[in-house]
Amino acid sequence: MSKWVYLGRRLALAAMVLLSVSIITFFISRVVPSNPAAKWVGPRPTQEQIAQARIKLGLDKPLYVQYLRYMEDLLHGDFGTSVRTHQPIIEDLKVYLPATLELVMMGTVMALVIGIPLGVLSGAKKNSLLDHSSRLLAIAAVSVPVFWMALLLQLLFFGKLGILPLGGRVDTAISLYHPVRNITGFYLIDTLVTGNWPAFRNSLVHIILPAFCLGAFATGLTIRMTRSTMIEVLEEGYITAARAAGFPERTILFRLALKNAIIPTLTVVALSFVYAITGAILVEVIFSWPGLGRYVTEAILGVDFPVIMAVTLVVTVLYVFINLLMDLLQAFLDPRVRLE
Amino acid sequence: MRYQEFLKIFGVVLILGLLVSACATPAPPSPPEEAATPTPPEEAPTRAPAEENVAVYAMVTSYPDIDPSISFSDDSVVTSNAYETLVWYNPPGSAEMLSPGLATSWESNEDGTEWTFHLREGVKFHDGTDFNAEAVKYSIDRTMEMAMGASYIWDPVEEVEVVDDYTARFKLSYAAPVDLIAASGYGSWMMSPTCTEAHDSEWLNEGNDCGSGPYMIESRERGQRLVMTRFDDYWGGWQEGQFHKVVFDIVEEPTVRQQMIEAGDADVTYLLARENYEALDAREDVTVYTNPSFQNLIGLLNHEKPPLDDPLVRQAISYAFPYDDLVTNVMMGAAVQAHGPVPTEMWGSSEDLTQYDYDLDKARELLDQAGYPDGGFDLLMTHATGDLDEAQVGELWRAELAKLGINLEVRAMSWEPQWDLAMSDPMAAQDIFVMYWWPDYVSPYSFLFSMFHCEEEPFFNLGYVCDADVDEAMDRANELSGSDRAEAERLFIEAEQRLIDNADAVFFYDVMNEHVARSDIKGYADNPAYPHVVFFYNLSR
Repeated sequence: MSKWVYLGRRLALAAMVLLSVSIITFFISRVVPSNPAAKWVGPRPTQEQIAQARIKLGLDKPLYVQYLRYMEDLLHGDFGTSVRTHQPIIEDLKVYLPATLELVMMGTVMALVIGIPLGVLSGAKKNSLLDHSSRLLAIAAVSVPVFWMALLLQLLFFGKLGILPLGGRVDTAISLYHPVRNITGFYLIDTLVTGNWPAFRNSLVHIILPAFCLGAFATGLTIRMTRSTMIEVLEEGYITAARAAGFPERTILFRLALKNAIIPTLTVVALSFVYAITGAILVEVIFSWPGLGRYVTEAILGVDFPVIMAVTLVVTVLYVFINLLMDLLQAFLDPRVRLE
Repeated sequence: MRYQEFLKIFGVVLILGLLVSACATPAPPSPPEEAATPTPPEEAPTRAPAEENVAVYAMVTSYPDIDPSISFSDDSVVTSNAYETLVWYNPPGSAEMLSPGLATSWESNEDGTEWTFHLREGVKFHDGTDFNAEAVKYSIDRTMEMAMGASYIWDPVEEVEVVDDYTARFKLSYAAPVDLIAASGYGSWMMSPTCTEAHDSEWLNEGNDCGSGPYMIESRERGQRLVMTRFDDYWGGWQEGQFHKVVFDIVEEPTVRQQMIEAGDADVTYLLARENYEALDAREDVTVYTNPSFQNLIGLLNHEKPPLDDPLVRQAISYAFPYDDLVTNVMMGAAVQAHGPVPTEMWGSSEDLTQYDYDLDKARELLDQAGYPDGGFDLLMTHATGDLDEAQVGELWRAELAKLGINLEVRAMSWEPQWDLAMSDPMAAQDIFVMYWWPDYVSPYSFLFSMFHCEEEPFFNLGYVCDADVDEAMDRANELSGSDRAEAERLFIEAEQRLIDNADAVFFYDVMNEHVARSDIKGYADNPAYPHVVFFYNLSR
């Protein structure tokens, strides 16, 4: 029962966080010098056009009235209208959010799939050749500027070898002759569900390089963190007991030890996941990936506050959600942890 | 926590998350088959892919709004292929300045306050309706009502009268060159009334159009790609070799665009790394097209704040800028010498207009006369963040002004704060405001009025220039632009010479357009009146 109380409390807290973030961002956007009415009109607004736009956008009303109208719209799922494109932001989010989530998820999966086994084996075989090379790999993955790596990989795999595409989510030919039906916005899922095999293969091939570049940092983190926690855990008494009892090494490493070693790693990976949602801008620009990073950066440079606010709120929701998930996961994995 | 408990809680959280996101999307995702010619994904298209001629344009930036009444930016690249204007502006060097579009001929009354357009017959919009005078009236009215983008170019129009099916008459409250305005790449598009009545701006932006142009918008993947397909009933007809489909890809990274054009994944693009153009042009499969544009770079000088309120000082700093050096060595073919505020390829400008040259001795003399023999003052120049050309202009100038004892601070700012600063108190504003200008419709008035006409509240005249003679000349010239273009040109040039004589601004350079296309594309010619627009109907492979 107390777990449901815990859940209820966490959700209430989340709602409060969202409310505070919305108030702060809203008032910042109104205080920072900008001219949304002029932006709305276009690059060469005249005074008459601006005056008309002010009324249309409700900017002549007092600040608290504007805020209440904004929150009312928000509760109905209306994130407002972009000052630059004059289009409902929700439509943009429906495209950019899944695109980014798909990319970041693939990157994270890659990071875990490569990073965890390497980290475990590194920790188990300390100071071996494997250990040294994976540590080197981890440092390289974290230090190499993602921009540089992306351009280099592009040049190599597209320019020289011609085996991977230059960018985008799908080829032009797919957009023309096997267009992807937009159901969830995750191309890999949508194409599978509609049986669109050419598009599925194409989407997979297109996501490889950007996901790899995006996941590089997380891979490095994962290797290092898993390795260091593994080393600690492997010194524990119960591991020696298990060895004495004759358990196979693989079971000892990947079931008994990993379960305890993984928690800090997962926490860090979860944080880097949320960071990458908007931090993927460099990868998105180089691979022409229509993601949230590019979208919000454009909005920041163009001072498009409705978009900035909407993306801030979305990222806050994701952050809170992922945090909650991580806490639940931790409680599940570690019986010593009590949810309070 | 036990496994089952974890699952229960996780399940609840997940369901809550889904509920929240369901609330946030009240309308079901709109099916992509709203386009004029829906193509079900599983069926094969009517033409086999191998037979179709597809062109790809690698665009530099995403375009905001493809509603023809609002579009005032890079979206014109798309709208110029889906919509048409009554009149088209021809590239410099053509025999006539204007050519018929949806209007076959036009005339004005004596003083240019009434314009009659005779419309082309047999033109259909993409939705099947006929183009006629009703559509003309409707299109202009819609643009004016929405009051966004470039709608202000129609301010002189009081009423559009439908004389008969194929004659439309514009009645103006004051004289204006409606033929030039109707040729603008912004805000002059003709749209189908039935189509725009039935749908709103949002529908248009989802990937649809209400035009009559040679291509129809088939689909739009936000942030990625826009696909246009041939309009089979286009009044101009189709020939062998023309393109069936045109794809606009958004590729923001210049190295990626370059790789695309080299590999043949893109057929046209622009804004690549300048130092690569020579090598690109040397390739057999790629051609670089260079021609003057209607865009220039200008430094507006603060006329209210000393020391630039003194014309002698303004002239002095004008002599201190290394024009030749910049054009020849720094810009590598991307710029040409300017002659005043209007780019020299446009009507209403002249290469005979004097231009300051780089002469530090003259500068010193003038400073002496003005009472600053060793300089000894500071100037603040602001320009757009991220623009390397503007930054270089600043650096070059700073080095030269330092030789005169003048300290130039070059500050990069985003547009909003930069504009805000200039619109605030002139005494606290920057001394030099650097920006590009290009015409909304092709007339010197666009340059002169916006940047130099006396304003009560500063708007784009960010040097706060107030010269009654210049204002009179430009206003009179604008009135005559439609009825007596020769006289209008004379007056414009007179105004421009005066601006140059008073050094009311520094005219750094005229921008050159550099476009790159695959060599097997025939018929490409850039038209500076429509920046970066490729009229795909004119191309073939």
